Amino acid sequence: MGQKIKTRRFHSIKIDKKRCIGCVRCMQHCPTRAIRVRNHKAVINEERCIDCGECLRVCPYNAVIPITTSSADLDKFKFKVALPSPVLYSQFGQYVMPNEILAVVKDLGFDLVYDEAWMCEMTSRAIEEYLDENKGPKPMISSTCPVVVRLIQRLFPSLCELIIPIEPPREIAAKHLRSDIASERNVAEDDIGIIHITPCAAKMVSINNPETMKKSNLDGALSIKAIYNDIMLRLKKAKKPHILDAHSQISGIGIGWTIEGGEIRGLKYFHSASVSGVYDTIKILEDVEAGKLRNIEYLECLICPDGCIGGPLTVENRFVAKRNVLRMIRTFGGKKRVDSHFVKKLYDEKYFSFEAGVKPKPFAPLDKDREAAIEKAEMIEKISEKLPGTDCGICGAPDCRTFAEDVARGDAQLSNCIFMKKGKGKK
Amino acid sequence: MRDKTAFKQVFKIKGGDFINAGESSIKIRNILKEIGIEANIIRRVAIAAYEAEMNVVMYAERGLMNVIINAKNIILRVEDKGPGIEDIELAMKPGYSTATEEVREMGFGAGMGLPNIKKNSDHFDIRSVVGKSTRLEMVFNLNGTKD
Repeated sequence: MGQKIKTRRFHSIKIDKKRCIGCVRCMQHCPTRAIRVRNHKAVINEERCIDCGECLRVCPYNAVIPITTSSADLDKFKFKVALPSPVLYSQFGQYVMPNEILAVVKDLGFDLVYDEAWMCEMTSRAIEEYLDENKGPKPMISSTCPVVVRLIQRLFPSLCELIIPIEPPREIAAKHLRSDIASERNVAEDDIGIIHITPCAAKMVSINNPETMKKSNLDGALSIKAIYNDIMLRLKKAKKPHILDAHSQISGIGIGWTIEGGEIRGLKYFHSASVSGVYDTIKILEDVEAGKLRNIEYLECLICPDGCIGGPLTVENRFVAKRNVLRMIRTFGGKKRVDSHFVKKLYDEKYFSFEAGVKPKPFAPLDKDREAAIEKAEMIEKISEKLPGTDCGICGAPDCRTFAEDVARGDAQLSNCIFMKKGKGKK
Repeated sequence: MRDKTAFKQVFKIKGGDFINAGESSIKIRNILKEIGIEANIIRRVAIAAYEAEMNVVMYAERGLMNVIINAKNIILRVEDKGPGIEDIELAMKPGYSTATEEVREMGFGAGMGLPNIKKNSDHFDIRSVVGKSTRLEMVFNLNGTKD
């Protein structure tokens, strides 16, 4: 029982069985082939799911539910801090500035609201420090997107050592906030609840089950969608812009982190590349695995299309959001807002560093016994040859090859294929 | 003596086909992952298979990549029909390449292919008949030791 609760908490996505009609859309979109349709309902394989949210995007019946922190969970903290992803700044048109949004978020019931863009710029400098001294293998890969980290652990275990051992800005910001608030306002650290306002549900996974530290510095995540209406109504009601004094100097470099290419644009002369979208990320990681990108020093990978502004829990259309971000970058400029000496000092103290490296977590092999696994691999090829290759999904597996794999693993029966039943498979 | 259990597959490689180059090595990697081969071995096979595949694409007319996986090791055998290699010793030198300017401009042909294959495999054998063919054999031990 206990374990069941634990595995359920591990993922940030669940299927609403009442709404799911058992179509094959999510199953055929899933990049790790984690979904099967059983008894006319989609079922997610907990082991294979990497929380990318592709199923959430494609489901026409809203049957894929993201799991984020509820406002009831928030009440248990005496001192509440909102740490919005800078993606939030892109959601309310091009004339609403970050400070107005931050002020409104605070009014939703937080004791403090903090601008993460500044910490994004701090992290850019820390990444530069790391790359400057890196003599190891290349390319180093950004650690920002929690789904990329999981994708590498699962599908590309040998690339774990390439994940840059620098925590993402949200974690560093939360760490900094907790110690700061505790000492300045005399609040016990445990009474402080630091809540990320997130464009994706995957952050919940990195908060509940962090890979590079014992305990996340964040206490939860609220989705942008969940507070969007409240913010919009308050912005509309406000007669004149309501501005917070603190953080009036927003970092243009930091805001850039929300769109693909923004993270590397903030870095100096390094050979770098950026990619977004789960399928393109898989493709580029395949190239990294073959040793093709050795001349690139830093690789930014973001699972959502066009970067975090394309997150499934955002409201604004991502193309408009991107324009808003680009406009803000122009407004705030490329001027450095952080003190490089300060970053260097923190970097040397390992303030930005992982507590532990990312460990490989490959999928379970076809069989624990090597010889049996090899036999099953042979079997998959033989079964695949017989199947029609139409990838119709009626058997409940996303494609014929995966169905063959399920049969070899003993999870499905050849007779589940309607073509095999009628004896119409390839002879 | 025949191996009791062995997975065998053959992939065709087309010379000059830069568009699909690398596909075979991706398929091989996916099979190795399914079987549950250790990450560090997969990485070495990935690099060697990709370099060997690219050599066929860059220099030969066509080729075949044979994969044999058994409980003890992974064997990759790449045989091509092509110009062959005149001086194998020279070809094995890091940085030596006969690639054309065009191929180099695409980022290939840096003269690291064969040395990289050798470095990443536990056993490496190369034979060539000038004007006819080249045959590479790479063996990767699965017990984790390098001989």
